[in-house]
Amino acid sequence: MRPMIRFENIQKRFGNELVLKGVNLTINEGEFVAVIGASGGGKTTLIRTVNGFVVPSAGNVYVNEQRVDYANLGNLRQLRKNVGMIYQLFNLVERTSAMHNVLTGTLGSKDKALDIILSAIGYFSKSDRKKAMEILDFVGLKDKAGARVDMISGGQKQRVAIARALMQDPTVLLADEPIANLDPKTSQRILDLLHKVNQERNITVVTVIHHFHMVKDYFSRVIAMKDGQVAFDGDPLLLEKQEALESIYGGQFEEELAVAA
Amino acid sequence: MSNHLRAFAKKVLLPVFCLATLIYAFNVSAFSFGALSKGLPMMGDMLLEMTPPNFTFWRRYLSLMWETIVIGVWGTFLGTLISLPIGFLAATNTSPSKWIYAFFKSLVTLTRSIPELVYALILVAAVGIGNLPGIIAIMIHTVGLASKFFSEAIENVDRKPVEAVSSTGSLFIHVIRHSILPQLTTLFSGYTLFILDHNIRVTVAVGIVGAGGIGLELFRRMRQFQYDQVAAMIIIIFLVVLVIDRISAYVRQETIKGTFLSRQNRRWDWPILGGLFVLLGVSLPNVFGQLGGLLRGLPVIAEIILNMIPPDFSETPKYLGLMVETLGMAIAGTVLAVLASIVIGILAARNIMRFRLVTWAMSGVTTFLRAMPDILFALFFVVAVGLGPFAGVVALMLSSIGFLGKFYAEAIENIDPRVVEAIDATGAHPLQRIGHAVVPQVLPLFNNYNLYVLDRNVRASTVLGIVGAGGIGFELTISMRMYNWPQAIAIILLIFAVILAVDYLSTYLRKKIV
Ligand SMILES: Nc1ncnc2c1ncn2[C@@H]1O[C@H](COP(=O)(O)OP(=O)(O)OP(=O)(O)O)[C@@H](O)[C@H]1O
Ligand SMILES: [Mg+2]
Repeated sequence: MRPMIRFENIQKRFGNELVLKGVNLTINEGEFVAVIGASGGGKTTLIRTVNGFVVPSAGNVYVNEQRVDYANLGNLRQLRKNVGMIYQLFNLVERTSAMHNVLTGTLGSKDKALDIILSAIGYFSKSDRKKAMEILDFVGLKDKAGARVDMISGGQKQRVAIARALMQDPTVLLADEPIANLDPKTSQRILDLLHKVNQERNITVVTVIHHFHMVKDYFSRVIAMKDGQVAFDGDPLLLEKQEALESIYGGQFEEELAVAA
Repeated sequence: MSNHLRAFAKKVLLPVFCLATLIYAFNVSAFSFGALSKGLPMMGDMLLEMTPPNFTFWRRYLSLMWETIVIGVWGTFLGTLISLPIGFLAATNTSPSKWIYAFFKSLVTLTRSIPELVYALILVAAVGIGNLPGIIAIMIHTVGLASKFFSEAIENVDRKPVEAVSSTGSLFIHVIRHSILPQLTTLFSGYTLFILDHNIRVTVAVGIVGAGGIGLELFRRMRQFQYDQVAAMIIIIFLVVLVIDRISAYVRQETIKGTFLSRQNRRWDWPILGGLFVLLGVSLPNVFGQLGGLLRGLPVIAEIILNMIPPDFSETPKYLGLMVETLGMAIAGTVLAVLASIVIGILAARNIMRFRLVTWAMSGVTTFLRAMPDILFALFFVVAVGLGPFAGVVALMLSSIGFLGKFYAEAIENIDPRVVEAIDATGAHPLQRIGHAVVPQVLPLFNNYNLYVLDRNVRASTVLGIVGAGGIGFELTISMRMYNWPQAIAIILLIFAVILAVDYLSTYLRKKIV
């Protein structure tokens, strides 16, 4: 087992507020991990330190045993190319096709000046297009390649976003509440797809997720964040006990149960 | 095969056609960097002579500015009043019959598609130089704008509250009172304020051709090369337009929120409304006093109209040539403005440009360019670069930058940062970020604005010739000066046809962009 992401005493301060209070965690290659916790617990902040959208105030993050250097733009590009990310609101480039969105996943792999310019003005090679088509097939959207992404359903949008991330050939896939805007059935399909990505492509997946009742069915490791600290790290079955969940979600526990019911 | 043909047409023929049109447009509009660079020293001289501005006659300028405001407010007021019934008659859902609808709809289109300066020219010829032609020209212009706005607003009334009130079994008049009017009053007052705001600038422009107010004085002083006085007037116009702009934006915002005249707003709102009524009241005797002039002018107007029939189309080939020049001016001016505005828009967008001083300066420049009527720029450049279409191109470019620079900056400021982050998250280079996250978000908006400005420039370019800045407008003034009304109406009809065609084309293209 090789460590893929390692947080070493990560702190993050926004103004006067200490949002992450010294997080230590190791996530190994090929793991499929859920991050849960009450709103404001620091889940988003934590995973965004991995690809450099949040710069820790103290501590180090190691990805694939390399220390993340937040100041070096070239290194950051390389890191982001290796770490895919999907979002709650999909964040696709609207008014363009699914194909175009997937192709943007290749941007990080261009490092010659000419390739950067050509890809910036929208020129992609035949092999890029072929690969994009294969990945669209993998996520089950082959027939939507030419469709504008503002004309497809939420579940399909998230599939396009996953395809965009896969296009990067990432070693890690981060997801920030990828199913929060989807209905239960679609949510399951997306989690199935993420699981397939993890199993078939050996990509380490870390996803922030709000639906605790789904966590049990899909994940064997869950990390709970509370007030900027890791409150639990282990098998979700150990969280079955009401008091344990209550201590993580605090006052929001009732809401969580209501959602689950 | 046909697919390949279509792809070929789209990828090769269309760009080639566009490029050819563009080159032709620059060619017929006599655009040349040589002329521009020769004009630069002249412009420098003019600017030097403008400093310091000469405020010796500031009392006179202020009273002329007051006249301009009176003309603008009265014209807008009367125009809006007339537009209220017309709005209902020209809306599909409230017009009593198909024929009445068709008649008023065409009337509105006709009114809107003839530039306001043309009305002003005819009226000045009929009743002489003064405020009256200004008020009437602004009034007709307002009818063209407001009736269209109003009828569209009426057509878009939300049916749900109407049905809710109807289902309670109330009388039709109650339905209008309780469900249609509340929806419309906010929209109508918003439009009216918007038009008023715009009309103050238009009033300065119609003044330049003799229809009263500060515009007339501006034109005279320009002719006498008294640039220091001109500068003083421009500063006064700019400040007044700014103040009116602020007030109207404030009132519009408060009416949308529904808090206009509410208790917490008492300190400002009543004085604003009161000021408007005082203005109308105080100037009432003046306006009524001119009615005599109008009555005396009516026979002249009737005579002019009679003289216009039948139109004299014998010079059509010549007019068509001038029309091509006119369109060339509009296209060249728009394209130059687009290029300049991309730079200005980026520099003025607060989410990209971190230096507040730069964004502030850029928005100052665009505000100034918007506040001045384009015909004023035309006057300047006729002096600086000589008579001809080139002066018109530069004038159109400047006033278009005022709009595009502002709209572009707003479009850039409203970019969804989440999409930008998602593209960054793929490891994209800053250039790739611009190409795939910024451009796709702003391009449809930019194109929409470009079409709007092109449309506007076609209108404007047909009349810039009045001050000698090229195009068909020059021919129009000549024929009017010589009382050759059959020729004048032929030119007006041609202008009308072209504006209408461009209007339809740009509406069509705008629908395709969404
Ligand atoms: N850019 C920022 N500037 C200031 N404060 C921030 C910023 N981002 C996050 N915070 C604060 O940090 C704390 C943790 O936020 P974070 O978004 O990481 O929580 P979360 O666990 O993802 O919550 P949620 O479940 O609501 O998404 C919150 O109190 C939030 O207000
Ligand atoms: Mg979050």
